[in-house]
Amino acid sequence: MNTPDSGTWQRTSPYAILFFLGRILRLIAKNAWQSFAPLFALLVAYQGDLVNKLILGGTLLAVIISVGAVLSWLFFAYQVRDDSILIRSGVVKKKQLDIRFERIQGVNTEQNPVYRLLRLVTVTFDTAGSSASEGMLPAVTRGFAHALREKIGARDVELAAQEGQPAAAPRRLLQLDWRDMIRIGLADRRALIIFAFLGPLMDQMDGKIAQFVETSLASNNFGPGQLDVGAGAAIAATIFFAIVVVLVFFSIAAAFLRYHNFALFLDGRTLRSTGGLLTHHEHAMDLQKIQTLRLQQGLVQSWLGCFTMSAKQAISGRKQRRSKTFTVPVVTAGQSEQLRNLILAPLAGHLSQDPRSTSFQPVSRYYLRTRILYLGVLPAVLLASILIAFEGIAGLAALLWLPLAMLVSWRSWQRTGYLHDDEELVRRSGLLGFRTVSLLFRKVQRVTLTQSRFQRRKDLASLRLYMASGSVRVPYINYATARQLRDYILFRVESSQQSWH
Amino acid sequence: MIDPGTGPARAANCPGGVGQCQEMSPAWLPPTGNPYNAPTMFQNPEIPLDTLPSVDSVQWQALAPAYKRLRQLQALLVAGAASVPLLIVTFLAGLAALQVVFIWLTWAILSTALLLWPTLSLPRRGYVVRDRDIIFRHGVVWRSVTAIPFNRIQHVETSSTPFDRKFELATLQLFTAGGSSGDLKIDGLESRTAEQLRVFVLQKTGASIEHA
Repeated sequence: MNTPDSGTWQRTSPYAILFFLGRILRLIAKNAWQSFAPLFALLVAYQGDLVNKLILGGTLLAVIISVGAVLSWLFFAYQVRDDSILIRSGVVKKKQLDIRFERIQGVNTEQNPVYRLLRLVTVTFDTAGSSASEGMLPAVTRGFAHALREKIGARDVELAAQEGQPAAAPRRLLQLDWRDMIRIGLADRRALIIFAFLGPLMDQMDGKIAQFVETSLASNNFGPGQLDVGAGAAIAATIFFAIVVVLVFFSIAAAFLRYHNFALFLDGRTLRSTGGLLTHHEHAMDLQKIQTLRLQQGLVQSWLGCFTMSAKQAISGRKQRRSKTFTVPVVTAGQSEQLRNLILAPLAGHLSQDPRSTSFQPVSRYYLRTRILYLGVLPAVLLASILIAFEGIAGLAALLWLPLAMLVSWRSWQRTGYLHDDEELVRRSGLLGFRTVSLLFRKVQRVTLTQSRFQRRKDLASLRLYMASGSVRVPYINYATARQLRDYILFRVESSQQSWH
Repeated sequence: MIDPGTGPARAANCPGGVGQCQEMSPAWLPPTGNPYNAPTMFQNPEIPLDTLPSVDSVQWQALAPAYKRLRQLQALLVAGAASVPLLIVTFLAGLAALQVVFIWLTWAILSTALLLWPTLSLPRRGYVVRDRDIIFRHGVVWRSVTAIPFNRIQHVETSSTPFDRKFELATLQLFTAGGSSGDLKIDGLESRTAEQLRVFVLQKTGASIEHA
């Protein structure tokens, strides 16, 4: 089972039952109500006391799940051919997946702690351009995964050999240590979102806490009402601070779980990342498949002086809304430039994607005007007129939205910019932080040039470039520039003989 | 500024419509084909921006005249359908005269706008098929021009509603990677033209894939 033999159906290791068990449990957790309803009905019909019912129900559930997992494993088979891999699965509904190697964009592996003991991995394939679910092989040996990767990558190596480039040994580009984990944890946006939700709750909690403290103090022979306002505020602040600490702790722990020992390798033309504390993740991505390259910096990240870099692949299938993303969670500005040079070499990658680069061209000042009009003036006037109708003159308070909207518009106008050379375009945007997106002209799918009435009068236009991973808009630039850029992009796309994917 | 009259760009345009520009090879391409495909002797000749074929110097093909009639008929039907509940309200709800006048005035304004809209918007719609891409423009207030190169098209679809078939019209939809529903939708084509376009685009798409 260590080598991908051609032409025979194979079963994965029996330990794959664990994987199917996990999958069924996850499915049950997801559709908890539907899954438990029939069982519940059965229990109600069955005569007996509650404990017996629960024991019976639990046993039944365990048996059903175990049988399901074993059956799933029994009916799961795969076959590796010369140019494709076939996967058969399904107990009742049979499914056969035929993945051609040329469609595989990346071979990813995942290793949870149990599999690590057994030296097994779960392989998943990133495929492009199909709505079919992606394939996976649970519980295969590391050696097999490696051999499979070699086999799929073999064509690329052959191609490289034809071009006279020897296959280079994997090169380590980046290694993250524990300080980086703390950076990732601190910059995690999810913690901030939880925090935003907690904010309004704090008010209510404040009262509850004061009550609780008072009652507990009262039991210690203190009279009620002795707690003054200052002490209450101090307690609230302490609790607030404690929650912040706990949240930060959790997000740092999450960073350790996901990215511990994160390393980035360049293996020929394949970018590969490994990392993870308990479950070990290994992601691979062909450089050729990158559609857009992003460099992001949130507010916290700008204090820490680091960025998140991500490469987006084509959206596969019409149902899937989000594209496959290869993420490097923390890089410095210098590292990001080096990575860019490597990733986009040899033709592109000469531009700077650092948002603080001075070479970014601003967009027209009229963009600011339009933003203020649609984001500020229009909603403020509408809201004010509605509120005045109901609440009287107090409704004028809605006009306070205007200065805030102006500030937001001004900031985002200031941060909107673009720069390009003959091969690629970089667009910058942002409000609190920065985001820059880079794309190669030859990978553009279609171009749209739009002009509003106002833009026509001011000789401006907005350009939208559609990539296979989403679109990038360059708003309010000079009409002549926009047209020239569009014509040049069309020329590059139409004269390109390289495939875009 | 790009001068549409002088460059060799005009060769790539296709004023004659479908099927007439296959033989034309864009003059701005080097005769050997693509310079980016030669790893041994890499060449990257500079291309003066003025000589790039410009989208703005094309002659737009109008949509089928019957499409305007169809849209007007649809507008009439919508206005008629909307008048039914209004009639019921007018005669049965017992509204004040002023309210009735207000309701019907609104109806009249909206119906007129609906009826006149095709006259306003359809002249702004048009498409061009060039040697290597297809361009579509639309919009009255927000005017936009979309270009899809043939070598990026994934598949092509024509469709027609019963209304369309009555007027011998069809819709052409072009799909590229990463888009959601039809990335470029040209409705109001004569069914014959739509079919010709479909075949032509498929042929072009196939040819570009063979080269790749």
